[in-house]
Amino acid sequence: MNRLTIATAMAVALGMSAPTMAQIKLADVAELSGPGATVGTNWKNGIDLAVAEINEKGGILGQKIEVTHADSQSNPGIARAQVQKALDGNPYVLLGPGYSGSVKVTASLAQQAEIAQIMGGEAAELTQAGNPYLFRTSFGQQSSMPKVARYIAEEVKAKSVAVVWVNNDFGKGGRDMITKELAKRNVKVVADLSTEAGQADFAADAVKVKNANPDAVFIYLNEEESARALKEFRRQNIQAPLIGETTLIGQKVIELAGDAANGAKGHVGLTTDAPVPAVAAFRDRFAKKYNYVPDHNGIKGYLSIYVIKAVTEKMGKVDPKGFAKTLHGMTIKPEQEPGILMEVTYDANGDIDRQSFMAEVVGGKQVVKEILPKMGN
Amino acid sequence: MTGRTKTMLAALALAAGIAALVLVPLLLNRYGLYILSMWAIMSIAAIGLNLTLGYAGQVSLAQGAFVGIGAYAAAIITTQGWPLVAALVVAVALCFVIGWLLGYPALRVQHHYLAFVTLAFSTLAYLVFRNEEWLTKGIYGITGVPRPTLFGWPLAAPLRFYYFCLAALGIVFAGAWWLVRSPWGRAFMALRENPMRAMSLGVDTRRYTLMAFAIGSSLGGVAGVLYAPLVEFIDPTPFTLGLSLNLLMMVIVGGSGFLFGPLLGALISVLLPEWLRFSEGLYLIVYALFVMILLAWSPTGILGIVDRYLARRRARAASAARSAAMPEALP
Repeated sequence: MNRLTIATAMAVALGMSAPTMAQIKLADVAELSGPGATVGTNWKNGIDLAVAEINEKGGILGQKIEVTHADSQSNPGIARAQVQKALDGNPYVLLGPGYSGSVKVTASLAQQAEIAQIMGGEAAELTQAGNPYLFRTSFGQQSSMPKVARYIAEEVKAKSVAVVWVNNDFGKGGRDMITKELAKRNVKVVADLSTEAGQADFAADAVKVKNANPDAVFIYLNEEESARALKEFRRQNIQAPLIGETTLIGQKVIELAGDAANGAKGHVGLTTDAPVPAVAAFRDRFAKKYNYVPDHNGIKGYLSIYVIKAVTEKMGKVDPKGFAKTLHGMTIKPEQEPGILMEVTYDANGDIDRQSFMAEVVGGKQVVKEILPKMGN
Repeated sequence: MTGRTKTMLAALALAAGIAALVLVPLLLNRYGLYILSMWAIMSIAAIGLNLTLGYAGQVSLAQGAFVGIGAYAAAIITTQGWPLVAALVVAVALCFVIGWLLGYPALRVQHHYLAFVTLAFSTLAYLVFRNEEWLTKGIYGITGVPRPTLFGWPLAAPLRFYYFCLAALGIVFAGAWWLVRSPWGRAFMALRENPMRAMSLGVDTRRYTLMAFAIGSSLGGVAGVLYAPLVEFIDPTPFTLGLSLNLLMMVIVGGSGFLFGPLLGALISVLLPEWLRFSEGLYLIVYALFVMILLAWSPTGILGIVDRYLARRRARAASAARSAAMPEALP
């Protein structure tokens, strides 16, 4: 038994280290366990789907893609170890992590190694540190919050807002950004409610929102907590419009909250319900392979691979050093690269610009109310 | 085997172990060095908990919080331009005082009740790390924690920093070795085995209970002071209850109350999940199963197995000697 185990282990180890000819090596470090497991698993599955699609069609410039996934356990200390390990293996591009704290601790390593890092973090400050190797896959909060604040001030015409946010790096970043943007537009924050990740009971928060009597409520929580908050706010009959981001009106929230989700509005950068046929087709392929509908992290992972494909094909060679330089200022259009789903432009900081939507949940479905053009236009 | 050869063998094994810890890293890449540095740091924290739990018998679920206090002290002080030594002094003093205060409930409650008191402290510490933004920068964390210089020698390179952590571990280990052999260590053990009897023999149980907490906690602080420059970034997420439970597991799996126990426990906790990564998605499940089976097989940890084996051998040798001596004794 013992010998058999050792033999199996050795076989696995040998199989993994077997020399690979003309392959593009990508290394992904993601939150596959711990509190970020939903984020990381969606991200990983999106990557795997795109890699399988591209390899089926012959790869990039005739080279197959090989991707390894490492689990950061949602812990920055372990993320650093895994990124170090990944970089020691000289990947073409580093993918992930998704948590902003983990991105912060690993970005300098990728920069030292001069390897481009395409990550999922959304905190505003990530791309403001002048690291030329760091790229986003979604809007940073500094791009999305001004759009939400504008909507609250000009469309809803709210003078006062209650902000309900989850106290982790994602929620705190969003809360700080929206507060700043609302202040610019003379909208007062009358209740500033911090909640815990995984919080089950929002009754006290609902009472506080009611007492503050705001013109609108901005909700910035993870998907499951969003559903619980929506249910409680409806139960306590809060009449003010409930406005949020991608995480308030996503598919998962609608499933969990049922009727309580109806009427919730949000700004959506990337959604599987976007009124774009290519996105709908992606959602179906993903659901067929993994038996569930992805959240926006699934799309982010998927797009990261097609960004790599577009950049590599533009360069005409697999050049790790030239990658970051080529991607800065590049616009990728779906006409040239259908896998990119929607036109996207990268700026000099590694931030992206893309069309986005204001959507509302109507009758248990996310309905797009307004298409917000690219900011550069 | 005579007592002398046994001592020789033990010394030889120790020398081989130290040589391996010094020489093997020369062959490792940055990832391997990072993991080994992490092992050294976690070992220091676990040695501290082993003093509190293994020797003095006080269940603490707050060791992770002390690592956090040490890490934050190091991050805050060194990013202000002060040397790491200053952070070390502050962290050790702070953890000693807080550990001493946390020991007071231990004078009134024992075992799992005490675990709950320390658990509450652990949660409280996390909330302070996260919410007191003016001091800790909250959830965003503190970036750019510098690696120290020692007598003008920069320790930024992974290999040098590893040796620095290893040296710290060596010093802490030697200190713990001395402590458990001193009258203090004996008082700790008396406290664990039978507090009533210890008191009747004149051991100041009150002072030693507080001392056990304070010393164990300050070693947690030492580990934290090394953790911050290793990762070069600190946010509250690593210092949740999970770390305290992990450290508790290291002590128990290695062998609670054995001097080498925490080192082995940390080896399993830090390195085993890394070795098991070849099983991809299953690695944490395999790891959990291993720990469960190990503890079901030997509740006293790995060194408990060795201890039982040695005890059996000694018993066999003694009974063989007895039976060999028997015929001569009888006429």
